[in-house]
Amino acid sequence: MESLAFKDDISGSVAAAANSLQLIAFSIGEQTYGVEITTVREIRAWNGATPLPNTREFVRGVINLRGTIVPIFDLRARFGEGQTSPTKNHVVVVMSVGEKWVGILVDAVSDILTVAKTDIHNVPEGNSIDTELLNGIVTHESRMVGLIDLHAVVSGAKMDS
Amino acid sequence: MSDLDDFKATYFDECSELLLELEEQFAAIEEGDRSSDRLNAVFRAIHSIKGGGGAFGFQGLVGFAHAYETLLDHVRDGRVELSEPVAALCIRANDIVADFVAAAKDGTELEAGYGAEEKHQFDALTSGDPDAAGEPMEEFDIDFVPVMVTIAGAEDDNDVVAEEPLSLAVLDDAFEAPPLAPEAGHWIIRFTPHSELYARANDPLLLLRELGTLGDIKVRAVLDEIPALADFEPFGVYCSWEITLSSDTVTEAAIAEVFEFVEGNCDLSITHGEAPVAEEALDAEIEAMPSFAELMAVEDEPVAAVAEAAPTAELLSFADLAESLKPALKAAPPLMPPPLKQAVPAEEFEGENDRRSGAEDRRNGVQSIRVDLDKIDRVVNMVGELVITQSMLTQQMDETLRARYQELVRGLEVLAQTTRGLQDSVMAIRAQPVKTVFSRMPRLVRELATKTGKKIRLETIGENTEIDKTIIEQLSDPLTHMIRNSADHGIESPEKRLAAGKNESGAIRLSAEQAGGNILIAVEDDGGGINRERVLQVARDRGVVGPEQALSDEQIDQLIFAPGFSTASEVSDISGRGVGMDVVLSNIKKIGGSVHVKSWTGKGTRMTLRLPLTLAVLDVMLVKVAGSPYVIPLSSIVETIQCARANFSRMPTGGQVLQVRGEYVQVVDLASRFEMTTEVERDNRFVVLCEAEGGVKVAVIVDDIIGQQQVVIKSLEENFQSIEGIAGGTILGDGNVALIVDVQGLKSATAAHKSAA
Repeated sequence: MESLAFKDDISGSVAAAANSLQLIAFSIGEQTYGVEITTVREIRAWNGATPLPNTREFVRGVINLRGTIVPIFDLRARFGEGQTSPTKNHVVVVMSVGEKWVGILVDAVSDILTVAKTDIHNVPEGNSIDTELLNGIVTHESRMVGLIDLHAVVSGAKMDS
Repeated sequence: MSDLDDFKATYFDECSELLLELEEQFAAIEEGDRSSDRLNAVFRAIHSIKGGGGAFGFQGLVGFAHAYETLLDHVRDGRVELSEPVAALCIRANDIVADFVAAAKDGTELEAGYGAEEKHQFDALTSGDPDAAGEPMEEFDIDFVPVMVTIAGAEDDNDVVAEEPLSLAVLDDAFEAPPLAPEAGHWIIRFTPHSELYARANDPLLLLRELGTLGDIKVRAVLDEIPALADFEPFGVYCSWEITLSSDTVTEAAIAEVFEFVEGNCDLSITHGEAPVAEEALDAEIEAMPSFAELMAVEDEPVAAVAEAAPTAELLSFADLAESLKPALKAAPPLMPPPLKQAVPAEEFEGENDRRSGAEDRRNGVQSIRVDLDKIDRVVNMVGELVITQSMLTQQMDETLRARYQELVRGLEVLAQTTRGLQDSVMAIRAQPVKTVFSRMPRLVRELATKTGKKIRLETIGENTEIDKTIIEQLSDPLTHMIRNSADHGIESPEKRLAAGKNESGAIRLSAEQAGGNILIAVEDDGGGINRERVLQVARDRGVVGPEQALSDEQIDQLIFAPGFSTASEVSDISGRGVGMDVVLSNIKKIGGSVHVKSWTGKGTRMTLRLPLTLAVLDVMLVKVAGSPYVIPLSSIVETIQCARANFSRMPTGGQVLQVRGEYVQVVDLASRFEMTTEVERDNRFVVLCEAEGGVKVAVIVDDIIGQQQVVIKSLEENFQSIEGIAGGTILGDGNVALIVDVQGLKSATAAHKSAA
């Protein structure tokens, strides 16, 4: 991977707002991922979910979000790293994907980042799961932040698909 | 202008009711009921639609309705026979009127010349001359002389003018007394209608306009007969007209022809050249009256009040009547003050005349208000939440609390009853007869019959069965698909039917009935039944069914609901694209219902929709499986049995059946079915015996039964997707989500699993 000059300084990039992207960054283990802040509806602590039968292991179940039923996806399990054993310290990030609202179970929410759109890199070819689930890569404090493709994450949730 | 929009909305509401009535009446007429009540009802409906349409300036609609109305008038009088073709034309005309109304409502334009052919046929039928196209009635403006009437005995402190807003158009010029002096080549016509004339929904204005086409006319209303208010009979006819027609060419016969339609319902005298009575005196009288503009200026407010009371032009003929009710009498006070009551009987007068039979009960007996559905929905939702809170409160009461706070317990019991009552009442508000969607089907069947070249009769049964309005709205699409399917795939061509020894015309029967907490809606046809061989073949070709899989007849029948499935070898206009029956299934599932199909080879097919009575609240049994809460709709539960006492038997393949009351029932262990592990011992678990579609039972094994309660159904698909065996979700009193078990889905999925194995 090429090394890049990253632009973390928010005040410096206000002028470039149109060309920049604000991300909510969260962590799964050691790795940091991000989603665009405009898609995030709510961040809440893990408080259990009702398991859904006949779904893949990364569907942790459904929760009640003020009267509507919202499915929770375990991002770790979605990456094929096994199910998270959630505690009260784990976090659910509720986001909108198209018309639907979904929750993503992550270890912790770490930061809000502003990145220039020009600084987003393509995901290098290789593992198909990586290219499928990530929209791109940005660098923050010399560490990689994967941009999650929400549509890809929530697809294929049913057992038979 | 929002007032006008309100009136429009009311008008369209009324139109849809009237169009419904039209369908009903014609359904009876098609069955051979040619009674005059039917025709009158049809005539009134069209007349009302036309009248309102005129007020809002829907030219196309009015033009067409007018021509249609003329035909109906002829039919009613027996001048045109209501033969099969005429009835068919009328039915088509109803559809066209419906299209015009729909276009006017949506503000869209129909293609130019839409309905012109039918209109031409009306004209041909009514005049015998196909070239005489129905003339738009707005073309003639007659110089009406507004005159003022004071009804003897009227009280002074009541000062509402029995004015009618629509007459303003005619009367917008300043009052001017036209001379009634006879001129060369003129005719004097004295026209005194009888009450039957109005009862038959004839309108003197139309006759006068017709006269106006013959030459210049001057019209004077004769009001001498108007009695004192005390003696005023709202349905009485007190008004007659004296018309001076100036024309050199008109013959007496031509004038008589104008009144041909009302012959026998009026007194008519036609004289040539003679001067009308007391010409000068009359002129003087008229001049003594205040101008109409003056009148309007003073009486502005009350007029507006009356205008509001009569928003549509439905009162068209009343307009003329009211107009002529305002002549001056000798002792005319400067401004006439007929009491407020005047407006009320006046309106009813028209009402009675115009829609006598059907609407009578509505006016006199049942009182109703129109309420925005949103407002009702809000109440329904809140009641739903209230019911859940109430059941949550009840759950919180444990034995110690019960013993300690008896008053609280009693209060909660009363609360439970009251909420239940409240809920039932609110549901009753939203309940509507399925008629509203059934009545759209005759038209569909007619169109399908035309397109397919088949002969199809539609029978409807139980159209007064009531269901929640939200469900009714969701029903239209599935029913349309089902009827299309029946017409296209079910009913055979007339030749085939004759060859099979059946009646040439096929029958589709649409029925609705209530069965416990459900509504059953069935679409039956007496066609060839499902071609199982072909269905199975197509299913194998498309990979819906594996090549080795053996299916029972019943399972094959259900295949028609598989997505993208169609056996039609050709894609027709009507069906065959394979989007259809799976849409039915998914739509019905969405509203918590289920679909079942049963077919008899060579005899027909029956598709049954089982729908909940209401969407808002569901009575359920709360159970636990592998530590998670599930609910099973109470309506599908037959009984519950402790596993220790249940009589299980082993099948050769390792599956289990339950023997209950001499029946062997398939067993579904929810934990293993949902691939979850449970630590509860077998003997401590419970069997919930459920009844799936078509009376088939299935024994569902759960870990524990927690209790009964009411829940609000929440969609899983809103944010996720549908899951096999799960009909939806719900939120419990503690805020957790419980899943609703789809008994029907469990059963059929298990059947598929088994046969796949």
